[in-house]
This record gives sequence, structure tokens and C-alpha cells, in this order.
Amino acid sequence: MKRRTVPWDLVLVALVAVAAWFVPEAMKALFGRASISYLSLVINALSLAVLALSWDMLARTGQLSLAHAAFYGLGAYTTALLLKHLAWPIWIGIPLGGVVAVGFAVLLGSLTLRLRAIYFAIATLAFAEVLKSLVHNLPTEFAGGNAGMNVAPLFRPQFVAGQMERWEVAFLRNEAYFYVYAGLLVATVLASIVLQRSRLRHAFIAIRTNEDVAGVMGVRPARVKLLAFAVSSLFVGMLGAVEAHRVGSVLPDQSFAVATTVLALVTPIFGGLYTTLGPIVGAIGLSSVQELLKRSLSEGYLIGYGLVLVLSILFMPRGVVGVIGRALRRRRTNAQRRAIAMAGGGAPDEGASEPGAPPEPPARPGGTA
Amino acid sequence: MTPLLRAIGLTKRFGGLAAVEDVSFDVAPGEIFAIIGPNGAGKTTVLNLLSGLLAPTSGRLELDGHDLTTRSTAERCHAGLGRAFQVVQPFPEMTVRDNVLVGALFGHPGVPRAEAERRADEALERTGLTALADVDAEELTLMQEKRLEIARALATQPRVLLLDEVMAGLRPAEARDAVQLVKGVRDGGVTVVFIEHVMPVVRDLADRVLVMDHGQVLTEGPYAEVVQDPRVIEAYLGKEGA
Amino acid sequence: MTEPALVVRGLEAGYGKIQVLWGVDLEVAAGSFLAVIGANGAGKTTLLRALTGLIPVRRGEVHALGRPLRGLSAAQIVRGRVGHVPEGRQLFPLMTVRENLDAGADYLPAARPRAERNRALVYELFPRLREREGQIAGTLSGGERQMVAIGRALMSDPKLLLVDEPSLGLSPALASDVFTALGQIASEGVTVVLVEQNVQRSLQLADQAVVLEHGAVRQRGTGAELLADPAVRAAYLSL
Repeated sequence: MKRRTVPWDLVLVALVAVAAWFVPEAMKALFGRASISYLSLVINALSLAVLALSWDMLARTGQLSLAHAAFYGLGAYTTALLLKHLAWPIWIGIPLGGVVAVGFAVLLGSLTLRLRAIYFAIATLAFAEVLKSLVHNLPTEFAGGNAGMNVAPLFRPQFVAGQMERWEVAFLRNEAYFYVYAGLLVATVLASIVLQRSRLRHAFIAIRTNEDVAGVMGVRPARVKLLAFAVSSLFVGMLGAVEAHRVGSVLPDQSFAVATTVLALVTPIFGGLYTTLGPIVGAIGLSSVQELLKRSLSEGYLIGYGLVLVLSILFMPRGVVGVIGRALRRRRTNAQRRAIAMAGGGAPDEGASEPGAPPEPPARPGGTA
Repeated sequence: MTPLLRAIGLTKRFGGLAAVEDVSFDVAPGEIFAIIGPNGAGKTTVLNLLSGLLAPTSGRLELDGHDLTTRSTAERCHAGLGRAFQVVQPFPEMTVRDNVLVGALFGHPGVPRAEAERRADEALERTGLTALADVDAEELTLMQEKRLEIARALATQPRVLLLDEVMAGLRPAEARDAVQLVKGVRDGGVTVVFIEHVMPVVRDLADRVLVMDHGQVLTEGPYAEVVQDPRVIEAYLGKEGA
Repeated sequence: MTEPALVVRGLEAGYGKIQVLWGVDLEVAAGSFLAVIGANGAGKTTLLRALTGLIPVRRGEVHALGRPLRGLSAAQIVRGRVGHVPEGRQLFPLMTVRENLDAGADYLPAARPRAERNRALVYELFPRLREREGQIAGTLSGGERQMVAIGRALMSDPKLLLVDEPSLGLSPALASDVFTALGQIASEGVTVVLVEQNVQRSLQLADQAVVLEHGAVRQRGTGAELLADPAVRAAYLSL
């Protein structure tokens, strides 16, 4: 994202947010009763986008977290435990879920972020698994043990006879959740854009490319990575809490599922890593592919899904956004080559690519020639 | 004159092996100071000890009287130690200007954005890269990459610039350009410490030369003197009849 | 006259944007000992890496033992009985001396049947290694590690042995042992190409020698001729 006079990225977010306001009603008008399940699909895509974008914010520093499920689960259990044990307002569990996730991320991060990428990844995976078994073994009366806990829904729309049809209750419920998820995604996107527009973007790329070089240029890698880890876990923690309310329950195996981590990293890879747009494009693309395959293949759709992922990683190493970006860049590159040739300061080095220009013969050093 | 950079008994052991042993030297402000020696003499290890990529087993490092021995790489940069690498490592996803801007933004904590951009442009100007500012760093030729490597370090506004074999891989004509570039950096008020194995470059550039062999200081002095030293000749050519 | 063991014509090679070798020509008679000397950065190690397939040959021809090497992988080249002792030894630190040596032959079907005999030769050359057969390589001294590295290359049953800076980081006494062993290897009919910064000692051992400078051959002659040449000294110290 280049700094320009008009902040196009923010304008775009505002436009999309305004447009989203009308989405549920438009769907209701278009599809009637079927809009309930369409809205569910959209909510799933929004949820995946938050998951993927929050994961990508840490990935920008070159760190591969395998603990995203843990922070999702921490958010979910925070809100569930608050509801069960304290009579606090239902909504407070969502921001607190994010805060608890951040707390654990800072703890884990300050211990492990000094490790190089692969060891960090292993440490986060271990953390996630330990946390899961810990939750399994919490006293049943406190956290429900293996059976988990019920979580009250955020919305209970009432059926009003005569004023609406039965199915409209379910629609109202989904409509309300749609706004919550859309709001969460907008918040995540804004955080991502703020990071990308700040000097931290430079620090992220520097650390990701080479931590030693970043260090000698004054970047404090440990600090920057910890910050990214905290922001990343804040949003996935809140997402976990919201999802707990929507699903209606928390269970150790469901709230801390490895599948959550897998989706969190596969989606940005598919859409395009290290960007705001990539994880969102990935979420839309992958949820559409999944739904289409489910309808056409039913039973074996997971095989098809896996195939799409493998092929896309093979042929689009920088994701969907990367493919589009490359097409745009190709034009720019030719102009750059001319600038380089004009600027001089060293001819192109590959003699083979410059048949007209014989390489300069190795000169004799002065004094002895 | 009081020294700007002081290494006092720097020692680095890997396991039982001493890669650098009891290396001491002073560098005066405005000096160009070379560290030379045969392959495996420990030159790069010394540079890594200076810039903080390695922690010394014992010894001390001072910049302008301040003890930097236990400081992190980033803190040393903030204190005024800049470093350019031998294997040039530009950030390929960034333009040339953005590469340099990293140094300007983070070289000293709390530099305002506008000031950082001014420092970046100044570093580009000094290294002759202004025309290439908007080019992606991965498109550069080797010589241009070397310039970028120095520009990034200059953007951190160092008091001492550490250069790791910047001439490696350059053709003689390009090496001459690079020598001029380094001289220009010094004339701009930056003290330079460099390691190099292209001997004509050392001869043309260095005010003073430290010769290392087997991790230890062999001798120190002006170029013309040290190359006459029988111990230096032996280190480079091998012992007569050994 | 028999076919030369190594013929190099117009060799160019390098790393990424850096071209190091700018047209190297060499011819090494079978059974002879060639020393390649030159200042740091002249391209000596790059030359060996190109010859052993560790980096690609960009231009030129390389024939070893009558076979063109260009385009072959490092594994294919070593199967053609070209042994390589890399700079910095590069042993398997957690394996014993014996295991490191055997690793030189284990992956080469042609060398495996001769492993017993070759191991005995290595122990004869470096009696110290027999004493340390069961010791973990990571705990050896620098000189012992160099002996293992040379021994491991000999286990591949080479007819042409390429050795990169064996004296690097060794005390003069240990370096001397290693050089003596290389001379012995050559006298047993193995063609040796030695890249060294210890000019005195390698020129004394060598039948022929070349001086590399800026990636090309600057001077060539017998070891004794170059040893007497003041320009060789100048090339090193740029007086």
C-alpha cells in the first residue's frame, strides 16, 4: 500500500462497510426464505476472513504460528466461563476474550519469539496442545470438562404472530450475527491497514527477510514480533468468543481444534500472504470452493478441496492476489529496467544475457602489471 | 585524540575453539581502519562481535566511552554503529527508497516520518542512487546493490560504519568506484572500519591496518609497513620450509 | 603420453549476480600434483566448487578422467571417481570417525567393495584416526577433522582428488602432517589438485602450479619456478 494523497484503502473499506449494511435486506428481498442459509454462508466466510487476516498479521514478521486455535479457544472459553460463573453483561465476554488471548500471546511470545521460525512454530503447536489438554482436565464443575459448556446466544429474536412469518425469526437472528461478524472484520481490516501504513510495515518486511540485517538497521525484532503477535491474537480471541455464542457451546476438542489453525494459515496462503486483501480474497474463494464442492460432490468434497489447495499452492505461490499483482507489475518492471540502465553504476552482470557486451576482462592490479 | 571505537581483549570461543582471541584496537574519529588477514583469520567474527551479531566470550567494546558489550544489535545501531554486509541482502519486496527508509526510520528511536524520509533521500543522494529510488530492490545490479547496502547503513546515521568485504565480486573498475564511495562517506564525517581481502583496495583506502591470523592480532600500522612485516608475509605465503 | 586427468577450458562460474571465474584454462597430467594458489577472493574455492558440480558451470568445458562434467550433479561427478575435500572439513559431527569415513563409500556402489582396503589405506596414512575410530567427529581437533575429511574422500576410491584449503585454521605442525599425507597420496598415483593459501608448502609439493587472480590464471609453471618468482609474492600482498 503506497502512501498517496487519497487513502484509497480506507475509502474502499468505508464503501464496502456501507454496502454491507444493506446486504441482509437485499438478500431477503432476492431469495426470501433461502436467504437464511445464504446469510449463514456469508457469516462463515466473514469468520474465516477474520481468522485468516489475524493470522497473517503475525506471518508478516516471518513467524509461522501454529497456536491460532489456542487463542480462538481462549476467547471462546473466556466468554463461556464468564457467563457460567459471573452475572456480567453478555457482551463483555467478547472484548475480554480478546484480552485474555493477548495476555497468553504476550506470555508465550516473550518466551518463544526469540526462536527462529521453525522452532517458534513447534513451540506454538506444543502450547496449543498443552492448553487443550489442560482445558480437558479442568474441574468439570468449573469448565465442563470433556462435555464443555453451553453458551447463551447473543440474540433471541421473538416471533410476533401476525407481524412476521415463522422463518423470519431465524433470518433476524442471522442478520444480527452478520452485523457482528462484519463489524469484527472491519475492525480487523482497519488494524491491518494501520499496521501496513505505519513504519511497522517496514519493520515486518525487514524482519521477515533477514532478522540480522533488520537488527543492525535498528529494528528491535523481538519487540516488533511481540506486538504483531498481540494484535493477531486480539482479533482471533474475539472471534472465538463470538463464535462460541453463535454455536451455542464450547468443547475442548471443538474450541481448540487443530483444523482452526490449519484454516488460519491455508487461507492467506491461498489468497496471498502479507497483505490485507489476500486473506479476505482467500476466505471468499475458499468458502465458495468448499460450498460448490459440497453441493456437487457431497461425500468426497474434502478430497476435491484438498486438491484445489495443493494445485493453488503449486501454481500460485503468492496466492490469488499475487497473480493479479504480478500482471500489474510486469508493465512497471520494464520502466524500471530502463531507469537502471540509465543510472549506470555497474552493467548487468550476467555476460550471457548481454551478447553484445563482452565482459570486462579481469584487470591486473596496479603496481605489478 | 581519544579513540571513538575501542575493542579491548575481545575473545570469542565456539566450544573449545577460539575463533577470536584477545583482539584489541582503537579507532580514531574520522579514520578508515582496515582489518585484514588470511581466510579463517577471524575477521568476520570480529565484525560480528562489533555489530552484536555474536556475543563475546570475554572482552569489552566501547563507543565514545560508552560500554556496548552487552547491548543488542539494534541498541548498538541506535548508539551509532552502522553495518553493511558482504553478501548483500536487500529487502526484495521493497523499492530502493523503502529499503533505505528502514534504516532511517529505525536507526534512531522516535525519528519523525518526515525527518526519516529526508535522511533516506540524503543517503540515496550520497550513494548515487537517487535515480533508482523507485525501482524494486531485486532489480538492481550487483554494484547498485552494494551501494544500496551502504545507503541503508548510512540512513541509520552511524558514527562508525562497519563494512564487510564490500568489494567482493566487483570488477576492478567497479571496485575503484566503491573506493571513492567509501572515501566520500568518511569525508562526510563517518568513521569507517572495514574488512577486505582485495589488497589494492586496502592499500588505497586504509589509514591504518590491523592484520589478523589464527584469531589473533599479528600487527597493526600503515599498509606499507605491515606488508613488509615478515610475520604478515608468512601468514599470507606460509612459512619457509615449514 | 597418457590422457590428462583434468582438462578445463574457458571455465566461467559464479554465484547469482557475482561472476567469479572469467575463463580458467587448466590441464593436469594423470598422476601429477597441481597446486592452485592465489590471494583470498581470487576464485580458488569457486574453481573447485565448479569442478565438483556444487555450483553450475556457466561457460566452458570441464573433462575429468576423459569424461565431460558440465551439467552433471555433484553426486554423478563423485561416482566418476572424482573426490572432493571441501573447505572447512564439513564432517558429520555426530557420527564417529569410522562412520564418517564409511559415509564416503556407502553411497557409491563402485567404491563399496573396496571400502575395507581403502579404510586400511586411510589408517596407514593417518594412524591417529585408527586410534580415534570410535570417537564422535564433533569432538576431534581441527587437524584430526581435516584428516577425516581427506580420508572420507579417499574412501570414494578417487583417481582425481580435489582438496580445498586443508591447512585452514591448522597449526603449522598439523598442517605439515596434512601436506605430507597429500604428497603420499599423489605418489600412489592419484591425481591431486590442491587449492591452498599456504604458498610455500603447496608449491614445494606440486609438480605444476597456477596462480589465480581475479578469476583467471595469471601465471603457471612448475612449483619450483613459481616459488622463486617475486611476482607471486607481489600478487599476494599487492606491494
